[in-house]
Amino acid sequence: MLLTLLLLPLAAVLLLCLAPLPGPWPRRLAVFIPAVQLLQVLWLAGHPVPELRRAWLPQLGLELHLGLDGLSLPLAGLTALLTLMAVFATPIAQPRRRLFYAMVLATNVGLVGAFLACNGLLFVLAYEITLIPTTLLVAVWGGERRATAAIRYLMYGAVSGVALLAGVLALALLNTNGFSFAYADLAQAVLPPGANRWILGLLLLAFGLKMPIFPLHGWQPLTYSQASTPVAMQLAGVVSKLGAYGLLRFGVGMLGDTWAAWSPAIAVVGTASALYGALNAIAQTDMRRLVAFSALGHMGLLVLAMAAATPLSLQGAVAQILAQGMIVALLFCLVGKIEAKTGTTEIAALSGLMNPGRGLPFTLGLFLLALMAAAGVPGQAGFLAEMVVFQGSWPVFPLPTLGCLLASGLTAVYAVRLFNRVGFGRLDNKTADYVSTTWVERLPALALSFLVILAGLWPQILLGWSEDTTSALALSRPPISAMAMASLPAQSQLIATLLPKPSLPALLDLRP
Amino acid sequence: MANIIETAKGAGLFSTLLTAVEVAGLTGALESPGPFTVFAPVDDAFAALPPGTVQTLVDNPPQLARILKFHVLSGAYSRSDLVDQPSWDSLEGAPIPIRCAEPFEVKNASVVAADIVCDNGIVHVINRVMLPG
Amino acid sequence: MTVTTPTTVLPPSTHPFAEVVERLEAGGSMLPDTPENLMQIIGIYKAYAVPMDFYWRDLLYIAERVFLDPLPAFKYFPSQEYLDLPNSYAGDDSKLRIWRGPATAHPELLEFMAKGETGKLPKLLHHLWHDRINMEFAEACMDAMFWHQGMGGRFYDYLESDVYKANAERAILAYFKGNPLMLGLHKLFPEMFLEQVRKMSYYANLGLFWEVMAPVFFEMSDIYDEGGFSGVPAAMDFLVNGIFAVAGRPIYHHVYIGEECIEIIPKSEGFTWLYEAALPYVEAVFYRTAPFRGTKSYNAQAGQVPSEQAEFHYGILYADVFPVGSAGIPPTLLMQDMLHFLPQYLVDLYRSHKRGEDDILVQLGITFQRSMYNVTSAVIQALRCALLFPLDDPDPEHLKANRAFFEAQMDRFLRPEARLRDVQTQDYR
Repeated sequence: MLLTLLLLPLAAVLLLCLAPLPGPWPRRLAVFIPAVQLLQVLWLAGHPVPELRRAWLPQLGLELHLGLDGLSLPLAGLTALLTLMAVFATPIAQPRRRLFYAMVLATNVGLVGAFLACNGLLFVLAYEITLIPTTLLVAVWGGERRATAAIRYLMYGAVSGVALLAGVLALALLNTNGFSFAYADLAQAVLPPGANRWILGLLLLAFGLKMPIFPLHGWQPLTYSQASTPVAMQLAGVVSKLGAYGLLRFGVGMLGDTWAAWSPAIAVVGTASALYGALNAIAQTDMRRLVAFSALGHMGLLVLAMAAATPLSLQGAVAQILAQGMIVALLFCLVGKIEAKTGTTEIAALSGLMNPGRGLPFTLGLFLLALMAAAGVPGQAGFLAEMVVFQGSWPVFPLPTLGCLLASGLTAVYAVRLFNRVGFGRLDNKTADYVSTTWVERLPALALSFLVILAGLWPQILLGWSEDTTSALALSRPPISAMAMASLPAQSQLIATLLPKPSLPALLDLRP
Repeated sequence: MANIIETAKGAGLFSTLLTAVEVAGLTGALESPGPFTVFAPVDDAFAALPPGTVQTLVDNPPQLARILKFHVLSGAYSRSDLVDQPSWDSLEGAPIPIRCAEPFEVKNASVVAADIVCDNGIVHVINRVMLPG
Repeated sequence: MTVTTPTTVLPPSTHPFAEVVERLEAGGSMLPDTPENLMQIIGIYKAYAVPMDFYWRDLLYIAERVFLDPLPAFKYFPSQEYLDLPNSYAGDDSKLRIWRGPATAHPELLEFMAKGETGKLPKLLHHLWHDRINMEFAEACMDAMFWHQGMGGRFYDYLESDVYKANAERAILAYFKGNPLMLGLHKLFPEMFLEQVRKMSYYANLGLFWEVMAPVFFEMSDIYDEGGFSGVPAAMDFLVNGIFAVAGRPIYHHVYIGEECIEIIPKSEGFTWLYEAALPYVEAVFYRTAPFRGTKSYNAQAGQVPSEQAEFHYGILYADVFPVGSAGIPPTLLMQDMLHFLPQYLVDLYRSHKRGEDDILVQLGITFQRSMYNVTSAVIQALRCALLFPLDDPDPEHLKANRAFFEAQMDRFLRPEARLRDVQTQDYR
């Protein structure tokens, strides 16, 4: 079962690359595969399967070791969902279709592989696999400056990959318990003194470049603004979450002590990233870049939650990953739709698109919803995730949490300003010759909006998957201050009162 | 010499004008000593107006009187008197611009025959009905 | 007056709107002469005339019967007498018959009043659901005429005169006879009811104005259906002739209080349709109007509204037909009214362009703008005919005067908000 999750898209990639599939078949295949993946993930949520473990290259320590737990299952689901939505958001007349869908599915293979991996080297392999297809996607189907964007992305990604490889190799090789890449072994690794610090440093560099986080974000605004809509949806929605997953799995999960020691600094970096993203977003004149900086800001919140590493904050981190993944994909989808219809993403060039007679009222209506979700308005997924993050981080890092709250407030500023300029106001009759959107075109945005609202009203979707795993992860941290400890039980009660007990059965737990 | 009304009747070119004056109840006024300066539109001038115009005016004496009074100045002025001033106030109240150079024009009407002296004033014959504004 | 080439030719105009000026000098309209333009404007004239039939009847009803009612909850329900009031320019008994049709309320209007968009319901329910003719538009036009001054004519000065005040006083006292509360209010605030009476006089003014325009538009629609118009200039000529024919119509205000008829503005004052109703209406409603709430900041420091009334440019000739989310902006109300009475050929035209049914209001609003440019052209040509010289006048001095007049009129459309440039192309929909 777990293998099919990987093999289906892989087979599809090969088919698309080698077989001359005519007409609508590439798209149909590209829709079918992630849909099947999504169904599988949903089925797996209720019926856990044992992990798969096959030797592959024992000399290298590489095993085909696949497993799902509360952390990777929702992320695998997110991958499938956003791949599907990205395919729906692709124009029917996409040039070089077969290659395009092949690359999208190849990215999917890499992502699912990374999330399913229970072997460090397998994780690194999958991590690297995602790099090339995404670079190609940006380079071939992007905007005017796509070449620059692709090269920059590739370089940052390559550095990230190298750092990750170095860190994981070091973690495995320097392990005095024995050479193994299995997560369980790595988690129990006993390292020479001081080694865990530079290993964590390498991992932070690697994943920080991927997410990205504030000082390492040089590639992100350009790449997100130059990538075409489906590619941006995939990149911002899932590929960046690889970094977050890595930090959770390797940073919090395996190098917990060092993580806890460094967490004040990490929390500050997260807050800085959140504020930087929000402030820059306010200054943007292009919608795509605005959404890119918004994504950067939301990643900062994630980092804060991971730095705090209380059970609640880690649940919030997973919730934020899911919520923010959907919301940013939705935003890119809608911005892409606006660009397709009006021909521009310049905020100054657009006005009055909510006009029911001649504008794009449906798209803009969903856009309003998406912006409010990004701003953290209650009733949608964004609010829920942010609230849990803040609740969880406050006892440990009150000041950074305050900073992130401020950043969250600033998101409302750019969200409202953007919508005020683009949606309200006077529609210029001379330029308003827009073709109305069809239901087929509206599908991905509609589906994602529906899910965003549903998640806001039914928190299980965001939180129910991972409670056990994240609590387990958190407990592996060294003890925190007595005051925070005393308030911990209160937090658990808070979960119980605010959020109904997860209805999903206990998931596979990798902790021995 | 005859008064303005009699002069007009005698000329044979002003039947529409005279009917209008009659309907508007201004006959008495134009037979009075005055003196007046009258810009008298010929019958062709009334005929040149779009159909129904005169009919509506004739059906409404007060309105007709207003238009007619616009063709009358209080006081008797010959052409040489008139060209001294660029604009004269009519009996109706609105001003009538006079063209001082050749040819002699009053508002948008040309004066076909000027300085016809009568007992109670001077008549200038014009080729268009003047309207205020 | 038909399209003529003058025997004496002036050098070409140097005005930015030289093309339009020369078209006007040839006897044409500001609107280009194309078959589609003709179809659009005639269709919208007909769609405009049906609600206008209601407007003029109700305006007279309010001016003459409702008068000073302090709580006029039913002012939009004209009595059967007013629905049956014969239009002076239609019907068999008319002295100057402009429309060949009947003099009472138009059958399409009566059908709409009974059914509306929702179906056959009692009148009160239709009214409360706002499924009715938007009389608020007519009142907004009245307000524009009431508020703007300096538009020519003697009406405003008369309303400030002692004669009028005496008449109004008589009417107020007669209306509130036996009502100590109202009479007491009148003693305390003598100007208040006087101002209301002035407003009622403007209701009457506008009602009498539109009483003429409705049969004119109906007749134009009938002539077009028979194929009687050779083009836009022919339609404009019809309007010009109509303007002249009715120019001398008296404007009056008679109030019926009980059995008595009090003439607040008697016919004998000599007010004419052309000078006291039509020209002020064109100036106040086509050119000036007032900025609609929500579209401009009323804050004086913001400087968005001109400080001179004569500089106002919010009429249909300058209108942007795209008010976003703006229920209640008067032209939108009119557009919704016209939507109910569009002839089939216009509905077909709108369905095949832009967003079809979805933005039909915008499309018909723009058509309405075109038609009002044609009406304004008719007014300009009529003024030229009345105050200046024929188009084929041999004297070049006269032609120069004509040109100066046309150019001065075109100067008013130089500002960026004017739509004169837009209506020159067919793409403007």
